[in-house]
Amino acid sequence: MINLTINGKAVQAPEGSTILEAARSAGIYIPTLCYDEAVEVYGACGLCVVEAEGIPKLLRSCSAKVSEGMVVNTESERVVQSRKVAMELLMSAHDGDCVAPCQLNCPARTDCQGYVGLIANGEYDAALKLIKNKIALPASIGRVCPHPCEKACRRKNVEEPINIAQLKAFAADMDLKSDSYIPEVKPSTGKKIAVIGGGPAGLTAAYYLTIMGHSVTVYDMMDKMGGMLRYGIPQYRLPKEVLDKEIAIIEKTGVKFINNVKLGVDFTIKSLKEENDAVIVAVGAWKSSSMRTEGEDLEGVYGGIDFLRGVIKGNAPEIGEKVAICGGGNTAMDACRTAVRLGAKEVYVVYRRTRNEMPADKLEIDEAEEEGVIYKFLTNPLSFNGENGKVKSVTLQIMELGEPDASGRRRPVPVEGKTEEIDVDSVILAIGQKLVTDDVQELELNERGNISADSDFFTTNIDGVFAIGDATNRGASIAIEAIGEADRCAKAVDAYLNGEKLDTRVPYISKRDESTIDYSDREKQSRLTPKVLPADVRNKNFDEVSLGFTEEEAQKEASRCLECGCREYYKCKLLNVAQRYDINPERFKGEMPQKYTHDENAFIERNTSKCILCGLCVRSCREVMNLSSIGLMGRGFKTDVSPAFSLPLDQTNCNNCGLCVQLCPTGSLTEKFNLKKQVPLDENYTEEFVEIDGKKSSVLVSRYNGKILRVIPNDEISRNSGLTREELQAKL
Amino acid sequence: MRIVIGQGSCGIAAGAEKVRKALLNTNLKNAEISITGCIGMCYLEPIVDIYDENNKLTRLVRVSENDAEAIASYVESGDEKLVEKLIVSDEDSEFLSKQTRIALRNCGVINPEKIDEYVNAGGYEALKKSLCDMTPEDVIEVIKTSGLAGRGGAGFPTWFKWNAARSSEGDEKYLICNADEGDPGAFMDRAVIESDPHNLIEGMLIGAYAIGAKHAVVYVRAEYPLAIKRLKNAIKQATEKGIIGENIFGSGFSCDFTIKAGAGAFVCGEETALIESLEGHRGMPRLKPPFPAQSGFWRKPSNINNVETFANVSWIIQNGGEAFAAMGTEGSKGTKVFAVTGKVKRSGLVEIPMGKTLKDVIFGIGGGMKTDKPFKAVQMGGPSGGCIPADLIDTVIDYKALGATGAIMGSGGMVVMDESTCMVGMAKFFLDFTAKESCGKCIHCRIGTKRMLEMLDRITKGEGKEGDIELLEELCYSIKDGALCGLGQTAPNPVLTTIKYFRNEYEAHIKDKKCPAGECSDLIEYKIIADKCKGCTLCARNCPVNAITGTVKNPHVINTEKCIKCGKCYTSCKFGAIVKE
Amino acid sequence: MANKTVDLSLLDGVLNEYAQVKGSLITILQNTQDIYGYLPKEAIELISEKTGIATSEIMGVGTFYTQFRFEPVGKYLIMLCQGTACHVNSSELILQTIKDELGIDDGQTTEDGLFSLKCVACLGCCSLSPVMMINEDTYGSLTPDKTKKILKDLREASK
Repeated sequence: MINLTINGKAVQAPEGSTILEAARSAGIYIPTLCYDEAVEVYGACGLCVVEAEGIPKLLRSCSAKVSEGMVVNTESERVVQSRKVAMELLMSAHDGDCVAPCQLNCPARTDCQGYVGLIANGEYDAALKLIKNKIALPASIGRVCPHPCEKACRRKNVEEPINIAQLKAFAADMDLKSDSYIPEVKPSTGKKIAVIGGGPAGLTAAYYLTIMGHSVTVYDMMDKMGGMLRYGIPQYRLPKEVLDKEIAIIEKTGVKFINNVKLGVDFTIKSLKEENDAVIVAVGAWKSSSMRTEGEDLEGVYGGIDFLRGVIKGNAPEIGEKVAICGGGNTAMDACRTAVRLGAKEVYVVYRRTRNEMPADKLEIDEAEEEGVIYKFLTNPLSFNGENGKVKSVTLQIMELGEPDASGRRRPVPVEGKTEEIDVDSVILAIGQKLVTDDVQELELNERGNISADSDFFTTNIDGVFAIGDATNRGASIAIEAIGEADRCAKAVDAYLNGEKLDTRVPYISKRDESTIDYSDREKQSRLTPKVLPADVRNKNFDEVSLGFTEEEAQKEASRCLECGCREYYKCKLLNVAQRYDINPERFKGEMPQKYTHDENAFIERNTSKCILCGLCVRSCREVMNLSSIGLMGRGFKTDVSPAFSLPLDQTNCNNCGLCVQLCPTGSLTEKFNLKKQVPLDENYTEEFVEIDGKKSSVLVSRYNGKILRVIPNDEISRNSGLTREELQAKL
Repeated sequence: MRIVIGQGSCGIAAGAEKVRKALLNTNLKNAEISITGCIGMCYLEPIVDIYDENNKLTRLVRVSENDAEAIASYVESGDEKLVEKLIVSDEDSEFLSKQTRIALRNCGVINPEKIDEYVNAGGYEALKKSLCDMTPEDVIEVIKTSGLAGRGGAGFPTWFKWNAARSSEGDEKYLICNADEGDPGAFMDRAVIESDPHNLIEGMLIGAYAIGAKHAVVYVRAEYPLAIKRLKNAIKQATEKGIIGENIFGSGFSCDFTIKAGAGAFVCGEETALIESLEGHRGMPRLKPPFPAQSGFWRKPSNINNVETFANVSWIIQNGGEAFAAMGTEGSKGTKVFAVTGKVKRSGLVEIPMGKTLKDVIFGIGGGMKTDKPFKAVQMGGPSGGCIPADLIDTVIDYKALGATGAIMGSGGMVVMDESTCMVGMAKFFLDFTAKESCGKCIHCRIGTKRMLEMLDRITKGEGKEGDIELLEELCYSIKDGALCGLGQTAPNPVLTTIKYFRNEYEAHIKDKKCPAGECSDLIEYKIIADKCKGCTLCARNCPVNAITGTVKNPHVINTEKCIKCGKCYTSCKFGAIVKE
Repeated sequence: MANKTVDLSLLDGVLNEYAQVKGSLITILQNTQDIYGYLPKEAIELISEKTGIATSEIMGVGTFYTQFRFEPVGKYLIMLCQGTACHVNSSELILQTIKDELGIDDGQTTEDGLFSLKCVACLGCCSLSPVMMINEDTYGSLTPDKTKKILKDLREASK
């Protein structure tokens, strides 16, 4: 035996073994992407380099042999730098999406492609479970979310994005119809957490922390939980019955709810902190923003969320027959459509830009118009004019669009001297909402008047007190933003309770350059939206406008998904190594070596644009299988793995043994799933045995949610059996 | 009388064969017309050497076929006046007289296609001496004493490699000659094979005897057809004479000889890639260890040396290790051959003792610059080497001293540059080369050289940005550290040395968007100096995009919007009226 | 031209000599190219059959080395040297001249099948830079005018 030291640890290894083997046997990790025991050492990736005392060069540990008294460092600064640059270079030439852009653009990183794909395959419960990994209130969020996911959806480049939000609502509604999914709760940790505020942020944090085994209590000032989902969203958009059911599920996991208690009145942050191990402040933003326009304090001028809350609580303010709503966002839409439903005859929406610039959801804008709302585009209130202290009319400044501003939208500028006056009975200001700062005096606020919380760790100026959602940093935003923070905050708090500090930043992932993607071969298929109540029916009541997807519609719509994310995301070795180093491949952005192309047969799909040229496929096909169905072609930067004459795999001697796929460290070679729609899923692999011609043979079986996704030959017998995947599966 | 025509590739390209045929067509009676290899004064080709009965040499240079009759008359009459304008000048004669030729000693002297001429010049005596009077250990000892080091570039002691291969177990061993001379700007090895192939064969047979190999293999670039032809011929002759084959000189030592032609891959100059290629595979380097001395060609112990290294061996055996070691410096012994080219007045092959300076070569022998522009830098070591600036011209030719500049001794390419060469462009030129020649196996070389090339390309196009130099440097050091083989590990050298010595030129491209050398077409503008323009209209007629306007006998003007910077006007103007800015 | 049937019997000699000699793949491919001017697919398949080397490996080798071609080339193959000395002595101008004169890019063949252009690694005639080889002949100390003349002469000669 040879004695050596690796990272200060005494290690023994048999003579002739490599440093890599010695390190592995001692449980010391050294990354490598081109090494596998099945084939001869190759030394291409250079990630396994280590430094040894007295040797000036970096050693490739896959080939360098151990020697007596050797002192090896596998993580020295020089080694880390070498690996970092290697990974940056590698990723700069790896043309692939780890995850789909919809997921990346979701503030909560919901696996949209995953659940859309599962819905397409009719796996509704699996879809729901996947959603619930990130969203505790999917039926509600599916209805109200302005869906940033859809903005990123690449199907828009073919015709229109996938209706992701409605599909989420569909899966969640299916779950609410019968035995709803209750997640498994981990054994109690004995830790107590108080959450202030029972809105989407607070409920989400409470739900995930409870599942982790902590004891969580939510304190809320209103009589029921739900926050803005309950008191800011009209019934016709989100029926309270749906919200109630979802909140009930959260309660079932063990979250304790205490309502009608107010921060600063019934308790303080400090008092909660004394009774709990951690406190999460998720109080939201409950004050309507002012427009600083003359006459704002007249009677009949209301704040948007105040108006909506009044209606929901059953004490709607008097709005009369003519109502002007100022603003172009979703709250403005909620307010104008609610005003219509309350019986107002003339409902105006005053917005200083045009329809195209309106931040509200397009569907909402259209539906409101169908219901009779009148848009006053390119107008801005100059003053609210009153009589006897009550608003009577609004003077509007006529605007026009000028040069684009920082947001890229054209800036509205007043047309000198041009005004218009409209008579009104009431005005609703729906231009934003703010934190009520009196409530959170104990916490440090930022210059915007919001709670100052660390954007990655969610910590505040008080140890053990975390803050999330509309009340923090940049202020009020959409619910899914707060939910994303809540999910990450739950993980940060859990780490905190374990005495650790968790960086919740999203680690590096590979993204394709959108400008290089070609959609010309995609068949056009228009987007489906659920049927809605007729405009002249729905504008007279508060019944839910959307009738939701039928199963058939949902599957059809979900099938439109382009499957952008990589099937091998969950087991990609390349990504795993990339995320270990603080890499920035953008530094080396340049030409991609290969075009993004597919070659697929019944089992295997090849995508050379993702290939990192580790050579494992070519070498295993030659050295282990003795087939050489594929080879390395060309040289240098443009080296490619391909069958001779660029033939498709099906026209070679490939016997589909799948060994190349098994060894591929990334998604360049993948094995298809037994699914209609291919969905990247976090499969569970087990080795199982089958009998082939009287001999016991090993196969790898991947399952997800109890269903077999792939069966992969795992030894000489199964690889050479010539059996199809179906035949192998039948033998299980 | 003997008429000898220099017929290396250069000479033939310059018209030597036409001259020979023209001479054969004259009525010469009293003269024998034969050929020799490369005389080394490439800039004077075609060269005709005339030896009289007393072996007195008259050297005629830049001869054309039209001179044949005059030469014939001269040979018949002895009247020098007939060829006066062709006789080499005293100045040009210094090009050879200042050299010390060991490896090249027969080049341009004997007929490479005739083994007898080699034997008459003392050839194969060293082989006979080694096989009959010395043990393999004795041979290795003499080589050790000589201090001979690998002339391919790395400068590794030859005796050490021979000894390692000799000590390796196994009865089947290979001696391989690396004649895959891939460095752009280097042609020493080609000249040796074309001009003195038997010297190579002799050196290799001695080496094979020393390490105990029964098989000798030469791996030659496919781009050298004449070298392959002459070497094949030499092997045939040597075999016929029993110098190659069984029981050579009755010594009991046997060795066969094979030539394998490369197929166009610079990386095959790397030992393990060369072996892969010899075996018929893609020339992708193997991991070391194991080293070829333990496991090489067909996984047998193998020793690989460069052509020039072998070309020194027979001389050393004949003259003793001490005689060789008497030349040179403490760490670098003997002579070195350089292919001096570029903007130098006299270009060709220069063999001088180690320890001379770059100045001795470029100015002393090369005669300085051929243009009126000042000397800027010399590139040594090709894509693995670097640019040495004018102020280091006194650097001594020595492995260590050259290495200290950031360049390397290399295989002997010496490309001289004047102020018109852009150093960023030079770095880009080499990176373009290495990126194209990268085998693609390891990440650092495959992607790293490509990314460096892209960065350099952006810089030469005026798209460089702050931080690019630092990023280039970071990438350079990473590639040096991480690349699998010598090609990748040394690929950053041209970039690092140009940044080291010409950083201001990089900065001018990046910050001021200017190319000081006026070479990067995206960063220059052509202008007509009105005072100098005679209105000859030549430039306007040559302009492919009609960007030049003006009337006859009046100054012309270039429309810079239309101009595509092809430079045709600049080269066509006879009055120096067009300038690059 | 590419559709012409390939006479595989021409390969008999090469294959008889080398097919069973290990390590001869590159030599076989060089001989094959000498025969056909390029490496026809049919020839590669036959070589695979006779040597037992997989077509993917033969193509791997063939595409690795710049010497090998998979398409027929013109009557005159212009190999323009890309060496350092040529670079320093403005080989770029010669390249541009050839491109302009023939209307082809590196790696292409003129429509009449007369000329193919290939930029190659250093030809080792650095003292004569810039240099090009056309088939077996080397042309040195090129200028744009000299280059035009050479091409013109070859075109005339082939008439």
